[in-house]
Amino acid sequence: MARGTSQSQSSSSSTSRPGVVAPRGSAAATAGMRRRRLGGGSASSNASSGGIGGGAGSGGNMLRFYTDDAPGLKISPTVVLVMSLCFIGFVTALHVFGKLYRRSAAAAA
Amino acid sequence: MGGGFRVLHLVRPFLSFLPEVQSADRKIPFREKVIYTVISLFIFLVCSQLPLYGIHSTTGADPFYWMRVILASNRGTVMELGITPIVTSGLVMQLLAGSKIIEVDNSVREDRALLNGAQKLLGILIAVGEAVAYVLSGMYGSVGQLGVGNAILIIIQLCFAGIIVICLDELLQKGYGLGSGISLFIATNICENIIWKAFSPTTINSGRGAEFEGAVIALFHLLITRSDKVRALREAFYRQNLPNVTNLLATVLIFLIVIYFQGFRVVLPVRSKNARGQQGSYPIKLFYTSNMPIILQSALVSNLYFISQLLYRKYSGNFIVNLLGKWKESEYSGGQYIPVGGLAYYVTAPASLADMAANPFHALFYLVFMLSACALFSKTWIEVSGSSARDVAKQLKEQQMVMPGHRDSNLQKELNRYIPTAAAFGGICIGALTVLADFMGAIGSGTGILLAVTIIYQYFETFEKERASELGFFGF
Repeated sequence: MARGTSQSQSSSSSTSRPGVVAPRGSAAATAGMRRRRLGGGSASSNASSGGIGGGAGSGGNMLRFYTDDAPGLKISPTVVLVMSLCFIGFVTALHVFGKLYRRSAAAAA
Repeated sequence: MGGGFRVLHLVRPFLSFLPEVQSADRKIPFREKVIYTVISLFIFLVCSQLPLYGIHSTTGADPFYWMRVILASNRGTVMELGITPIVTSGLVMQLLAGSKIIEVDNSVREDRALLNGAQKLLGILIAVGEAVAYVLSGMYGSVGQLGVGNAILIIIQLCFAGIIVICLDELLQKGYGLGSGISLFIATNICENIIWKAFSPTTINSGRGAEFEGAVIALFHLLITRSDKVRALREAFYRQNLPNVTNLLATVLIFLIVIYFQGFRVVLPVRSKNARGQQGSYPIKLFYTSNMPIILQSALVSNLYFISQLLYRKYSGNFIVNLLGKWKESEYSGGQYIPVGGLAYYVTAPASLADMAANPFHALFYLVFMLSACALFSKTWIEVSGSSARDVAKQLKEQQMVMPGHRDSNLQKELNRYIPTAAAFGGICIGALTVLADFMGAIGSGTGILLAVTIIYQYFETFEKERASELGFFGF
């Protein structure tokens, strides 16, 4: 594939047409710029330009439900991961305390 | 719309309470994406092994057994609900928006935000509702047995797990990870199942001495311990009650067939209108709707099973209830109900080839049902999800792409020649492959395998694309 550097990036940013090949430098670069603005830059927000999660032809897009920004309680990805780990820790602690409590109750009886 | 009442606006007061993952404000490098994906996967796997605290028992029939495959849930663990809340709310909202029951203007930013908020809110509500329903219906022992405190704890655990799944999915989709959380979790669950069935070291005593559950391990174990090697081989290949080597081979075969078919596509040449000389192609895949038809089909069948089982347990004498489905406890998997009559029986895959020969009408009905349901769902889905010929033509036009040799107005007609055919035929193919997998007894159900393979293939594509973009980036 005769694919320039700038084009390969722009074509990867558009999920709907993976095979766009542009032999000319400057013209294609502007097209890529325009498309990037249309798509919003990343592959995930690109789906929003084509209806609600309705990307053309790939089922991965159809399962994308949350794509856009919404005003809400902003949390960073690290917080999500830490939160989940804390939850796991919490449930494990519940199990441990449950076992200890039961043993001490049995010993008292 | 004229400022009239809109259902979507009901969501607005809740928007500020909904957790929301920040969008990536920079381009996340490939390595970092892989790390985020792996950590999310790790959390999911731990959650689906960690038992819920406070439950009394999980024995007895499991009415959701048939849904577990597509919902990535594990019984008695924190992931009891799996991705049910997200999938249900997502499908409901998409159907509502697609059928114009709630009006969404996709070009308005606020509308999109409201729709997303509504989906998330519905997801959380469904998680809460299901958690309460599970506990109250006595799935973990009756509330009296559990105690009120434990019951509340269980509900909190389930709800929080639901919210975590929603957040993880959002995290992966917002550009921090690869692909979507939902498909990642489904595929992982199925793959885990397959690996477990192949290599499980658990021994089961079935009257002829201890046997290993895993097919491969059992093969070697039988070959080493039995003196009659031919009998041992036959046993390893054809044992009925446990996964055997034939099942494993069938799984691999289906895997390869699906991958092979994924490559089938019609490539339409397109050309940019204002950047002269920019050529491109718009590929229309044979599997245009990918795994959507089977997801919808299995969702339909699972709901039928669920309703039919509930009814059968309450009113087993009723004629109409019996027509819907008769259920019997299975001999192998303890406490599991299998359909033995009625509609539920005829939409279930025959258990084996022998079963098929014994009841050809059942097999025929199943085949016809699967194929037509998949084709129908596939055709409906392109309309609902906005990937029909009209929508694609609009998208191409927005991006100033034309087909050489065709006028602008002809674009839709030209696309219309391929897309509905691809959708219907692709749906039929997916259905046929599912049936084939079921008949050959592939591990997991046919549905599961097909889902896993299509998802893994999508991941493979994303991987390649990310790698290519990364290389292009460095080439600057």
